[in-house]
Amino acid sequence: MENLLVVDSIQKYYGSKENITKAINDISFSVNSGEFIGIMGASGSGKTTLLNCISTIDNVSSGHIYLENKDITKINDEDIAKFRRENLGFIFQDFNLLDTLTVEENIALILTINKVLQKDIDNKVFELALKLGIDDILNKYPYQISGGQRQRCAVARAIINNPKLILADEPTGALDSKSARQLLDILKEMNEKLKVTILMVTHDPFCASYCNKILFLKDGRIFNKIEKGDKTQKEFYNNILDVLSLLGGDFRDVR
Amino acid sequence: MLGKLSFRNAKRQALNYIIYFITVTISIGLIFSFNFLAFSKDVSELSNQMEYFKQVIVILSIIIAFSIAWLINYTMKFILEKRSKEFAIYQILGIEKKDISSMFVKENIIIGAIALMFGILLGMFLYQVLISIVMNIFKQPYQINIVFSYKALLLTILYFVLIYGIIILKNRKKIKKSKVYELLYSEKQNENHVMRKVKYNKIIFAFSVILLLVSIFVVKYTFSFGSNVSFNLVLIALISLIVGIYLFYISISGFILDFYINNKRRKYKNSNMFLYRNLASKVNTMSITMSTLAVMFVIIIIGLNISMLMNNMLNNEMEILYPFEIMISTTDGDFTKYKEYIKKNSDVVNMHEYKIYTIEQTPLIEALKDTSLRDRKYNKVDNVIKLSDYNKLREMIGYSSVELSNDEIIVNTISTASNYINKYIKENGNYITACNKKYKIKQVEDINLGQLGFNGFVYFFVVNDNEIEFIKENEISSDYLSNNLEYKLVVNTKEKTTQAFYDDLCSYIKTYHFPQVGIYDGIEKEYDVEISLGNVLSRGQRIGETKSFYTIISFSAIYVSLILIMISATLLAIQQLSESEKYKYRYKVLKDLGMDEMDMNKIIFKQIFIYFLLPILIPVLISVPIVLSIGNIFTLAVTYKEIIKNICFVFGIFFLVYSIYFVATDVQFEKNINEEI
Repeated sequence: MENLLVVDSIQKYYGSKENITKAINDISFSVNSGEFIGIMGASGSGKTTLLNCISTIDNVSSGHIYLENKDITKINDEDIAKFRRENLGFIFQDFNLLDTLTVEENIALILTINKVLQKDIDNKVFELALKLGIDDILNKYPYQISGGQRQRCAVARAIINNPKLILADEPTGALDSKSARQLLDILKEMNEKLKVTILMVTHDPFCASYCNKILFLKDGRIFNKIEKGDKTQKEFYNNILDVLSLLGGDFRDVR
Repeated sequence: MLGKLSFRNAKRQALNYIIYFITVTISIGLIFSFNFLAFSKDVSELSNQMEYFKQVIVILSIIIAFSIAWLINYTMKFILEKRSKEFAIYQILGIEKKDISSMFVKENIIIGAIALMFGILLGMFLYQVLISIVMNIFKQPYQINIVFSYKALLLTILYFVLIYGIIILKNRKKIKKSKVYELLYSEKQNENHVMRKVKYNKIIFAFSVILLLVSIFVVKYTFSFGSNVSFNLVLIALISLIVGIYLFYISISGFILDFYINNKRRKYKNSNMFLYRNLASKVNTMSITMSTLAVMFVIIIIGLNISMLMNNMLNNEMEILYPFEIMISTTDGDFTKYKEYIKKNSDVVNMHEYKIYTIEQTPLIEALKDTSLRDRKYNKVDNVIKLSDYNKLREMIGYSSVELSNDEIIVNTISTASNYINKYIKENGNYITACNKKYKIKQVEDINLGQLGFNGFVYFFVVNDNEIEFIKENEISSDYLSNNLEYKLVVNTKEKTTQAFYDDLCSYIKTYHFPQVGIYDGIEKEYDVEISLGNVLSRGQRIGETKSFYTIISFSAIYVSLILIMISATLLAIQQLSESEKYKYRYKVLKDLGMDEMDMNKIIFKQIFIYFLLPILIPVLISVPIVLSIGNIFTLAVTYKEIIKNICFVFGIFFLVYSIYFVATDVQFEKNINEEI
């Protein structure tokens, strides 16, 4: 399988010369097309920074990130918007839907920017909404629907333009356990059926157990790396908990 | 889709910042109506002086345009900060920055265009109100008619488009330069310093109070000498006032904390802790804005008061200065040419000619020693007219005759001076020595017979006709040129004199020349005393002039103050309302802890009340003594009662407008907080 994403010894520093914080201290890894990869770590371990660098929200201090052999750390300001809308889909913890637009309009926004034909937009949005079970709320505004529905709407927005990579930052963080499970099932299904590549940051072991590969970060470095392989989800979950107890910090008491 | 987004964003923005939107609309309405009025032909035809109205209004409109620019800029900065996350999402979704900024521009153009449209509609209505007021002042009939001034419209649009365009472009640039990361995490960044610590807080606070007191006393001292106001002292007062205000608001938050939080008994009483913590942190970060507002309020309050004092003076002096329709002074007593013209061109009711005598100054001047009235007697002489002339003058304006024996004297003065003179008489006995002869003061009259320049200065004496030979022997020549104009003619006509009559009379008389020798500044000079020097006065012409100035002063003052108060109050409102998101969370905590809605609304009311009260606290306290002191130089024509009345009126208007904003903010704030808890 071909490497979709290659992260090549990146570093990210914050602060001044006298007082440097190394948020990311030399991380390298690669992601294959169709993988569902999780990034775990205690708060302050650099997982969100890593996601931000990959998603071009933040810049790296050194190193390179390649998406399909294109170095995204070198994209200039004019091309960045086009790059984002053609290659990336985002899912945030707090949804970040535009509350002046209806659910339907939120999902369709990117297509209109990409100048997709009106008729195709309607079909595409409805088809996807049906799949995600939000077809009956398409004409509602985000503040009129539940958290779980909002996040499914955000997922629809993220995948409507068939991005190469979906970046999810604690997508279940603001959801109750039932909605969280529902959402993860959806992500898993997307990954398996549509072969969407997903990179998900989370601190919740249950959430992480849906992935098929997990990177553990500690103090800006990769501490460990595990793969699901042929394990059941339950076995993989226990496997994650083992690593986490080694990792210490916030996860000391999870068991 | 982006267009739809712009439109909906504009709608939401206008609703969220409805107070701001209304203020901008009303401001545009005011700018348009005042410019409309200034360019109106009806108005400029009222009097020669109304030409100045145009210039004053145009200049003031520029100042106002800058103030509105300040408000719009401030608000837009706020809105941009509030919406930073939204702009980040746009960028993350892959919308080009140029599309985002053009969306922002579109939104604001929509809002601006609507405000402009409503503003102009409002302005057309306001214009009708304003012009009927002006016509009423000039006692001219006026019927509402639909007119339109393209000049005023273009000017208004020009001001607005310039302000708005520059600010939009500035912010567009800001969006283009913005980084997603910064936008996305800007909320987190702001919370770094909730409370800025001010060192030596108590000392600064004490120092600011001292500075404010100093400025009050310096003003009081400066203006106690009448019109000889020292510029340096005024500057000192101004600087200490401004510095005092800034230091006060910088240190007040620490003071609030000290008072309410560091004292356990007060801290835990009712909701004090929550309320004053909120306030102190807000005031602390807002101290510079609050100080600026306070300085502006001081200027507005004092400016409005001064303009009203000037108007009082104009009105009152009108009565004092021009008791007769036509008043003429000459050096030689030859009035034939004048009388010829007047009789031919107007309907004379009565007229009288007489002479006014000049004698050495009497000790009565002591009565005015601590007042600014004293300056009006700069020529250091007193004037006398004989009883028969006096009675004739009284009769002309409808007063009965008075009697006087040989050793008696009447003091005829202006009403503001009569108190001082009566007090002097009470203390020093009712005798006065004039020309080394002792006279008994029979009475002090305050009938207006032109005793401010035409018939003497501040007061003149009346003696029995038999005494006039004695006075003549003691007559001196004044070192001031106008005093050689001792022959007077006063005329009352059936119809009021007009500007045209006055102009005609002047050009008719101009064929004469009044070459005259006088000592001025110690040097003997020859003057061509022309009519314009005030030798020929016509009440009708002067009233027209006065009314013009009256209109110009009061309309300009109201124009500027109204808009400035509105802008300041809007700023406060926006500050509070835009923070209601943050407060929502805080109040939600209170609610979760078990506080009911009534109590919460009470705290909200208290919070906003104190927040609105703080910036006017110092201006109100400090401007009253300052206005009273400044009033000193107007005491010639303005009574103490009128000064107090002015102060009440100014505060009335101020608080009316201000409290409308306060109530609107309170209502909106409660709505925001209670919305989604």
